[in-house]
Amino acid sequence: MPDTQAAPITHVRPQAAVRSTDGRAAVFMLGPNVVLFTVFVGVPIVLAFALSFFAWDLNGAPTWVGLANYTAMFKDPLVGISVKNTLYFVAMGVIPTVFISLGLAMLINFQFRGVTIVRSLYLIPAAVSLAASAVIWQYIYEPKFGLLSYVFNEVGIAPPSQGFLFTPGWALPSLDVVCIWTTLPIGVLLYLAALQRIPESVIEAATLDGAGWFRRTRYVIWPGVSNMTLLVAIISLIAFTASGFDLVNILTKGQPIYGTETLIYYVYYSAVTNSQWGYAAALSVLQFVIIVGILAILAAARQFLVRRP
Amino acid sequence: MRPSRRMRRLTRIAFATIIGIVLAGPLIYLVAGSLMSPAQVDAATPQLIPSSWHFDDYVNGWKYVLQARTFLNSVIFVVCAVGLQWALCISGGLAITKMRFRGRTAITTMFAVSLFIPVVTTVIPVFVVTNQFGLINTYPGLIIPIAAQTGFGTLLFRQYIATLPQELFDAARIDGAGWWLLLRRLVVPLARPATAAYLAISVITAWNMYLWPLLSANAPHVEVLSEIVAAIGQGDNFGYTVTVPQQYAATVITIVPVVVAFLLVQPAFVRGLTGSGVE
Repeated sequence: MPDTQAAPITHVRPQAAVRSTDGRAAVFMLGPNVVLFTVFVGVPIVLAFALSFFAWDLNGAPTWVGLANYTAMFKDPLVGISVKNTLYFVAMGVIPTVFISLGLAMLINFQFRGVTIVRSLYLIPAAVSLAASAVIWQYIYEPKFGLLSYVFNEVGIAPPSQGFLFTPGWALPSLDVVCIWTTLPIGVLLYLAALQRIPESVIEAATLDGAGWFRRTRYVIWPGVSNMTLLVAIISLIAFTASGFDLVNILTKGQPIYGTETLIYYVYYSAVTNSQWGYAAALSVLQFVIIVGILAILAAARQFLVRRP
Repeated sequence: MRPSRRMRRLTRIAFATIIGIVLAGPLIYLVAGSLMSPAQVDAATPQLIPSSWHFDDYVNGWKYVLQARTFLNSVIFVVCAVGLQWALCISGGLAITKMRFRGRTAITTMFAVSLFIPVVTTVIPVFVVTNQFGLINTYPGLIIPIAAQTGFGTLLFRQYIATLPQELFDAARIDGAGWWLLLRRLVVPLARPATAAYLAISVITAWNMYLWPLLSANAPHVEVLSEIVAAIGQGDNFGYTVTVPQQYAATVITIVPVVVAFLLVQPAFVRGLTGSGVE
């Protein structure tokens, strides 16, 4: 604002005139947005908490049960399993996504003939839905004729006995691979944008000072892209939470022996299959607490990330 | 020194290209599978390039797996949900940026807080609300709850509108232009880059959405493509008449429009992601 001194004088009249009509105009301009937002975002958030104190099968009146859903949750072995699976699935997904996408972005962050085509190859998986990715990877993971089993056999490693998706210990990482595949391009795109903002001269200066590839990456590039790292981590967190439902419901249904039972899948299962909508609401609250907790950890980690050594 | 630098550059290009092919590989592999006969798909030695080509799978995949109705449902869902949400967000964004009224800060904060509450944690109560309105298995029930997720879009437009010069708004107001006219004649044309960023993200997200359509619209007349693709993944054989390559062809048909769109709009896509207030 260069002309702050002149501003008050020229602005008094129009703003006074504006103020008298804005309230009514704002109702028309913002009203529909706020009403729909309240009904389908605000109310559901409150409802998730409220319903968690009731037993309800979606028909008839809900029955007040106090904290019974929460005490049941603590006794339910599936809750422990699904929380553990969710945390494992998210950690094994988000962390590789962050580092691999930064590596890939650094790899293709230079100009050459055909760079647009090559970059497109990196970006394509981002547009593929999780449902379609499930079809693709089921084809690749197919136990008998699948490409990956074939590659394993050629290299001389025995593929997992029940297939990649149904052998305990293999199932969850196999699902992670699918979601990493669709999430990587978003990380690459964001890191490319961040890398282009690091001045060439800074990297050259570091090189002249004798910093090798590792030191340049650790002390120049990594701090330089730290804001983006937080964004990539948040976007991946949300992607992996969502895919905890999509991929599980399509590919494994929580099998083998609850090996891929994620919290969001258990929420869906409790509500839709078991008709325990109150219990599902209590599980949603747990899911909410976990996600907010992870976001808080990320925000704290950011302080650590941006600190230059 | 010269040749070695050149060699390093060529090696890097080759390496970057190979990694790119590996990354796009799974999709290319599905396209290859969609062009095979059923026997080729199940061959003991997987074929990366089909030994013979069968394009008719696409015709049958469209006819027997996807069906025009489902494709149309997806288009209706994306166009209506994103179109309605866009209208709500751009007008709401103008209101919370340039208009003066009580509760403005509170409403802005409310949108910002909602960004940190992922849809997956509220999907069950959203279903309950939609069900109370009697909208399950109807187009409005599929569309409106998604259009109502206005937090991200409203803040995106707010951020963009705040960068437009205040003089434009003052001049228009002094000339007696109402807010409605201002929105149509000034904000909508000037905010085109923000609209592009918004559309890039929203259209792709809506087209690929699975959990909400599965909950709110699983009857055949409102079903969308992602539900059909999910059924393929779940091993639904669509009445024993549909072959595996036909299912793959159907899946490819659902992927292609988004991939093409995404590649065309990816700069806008990045602006949308980074414009969300974190950067």
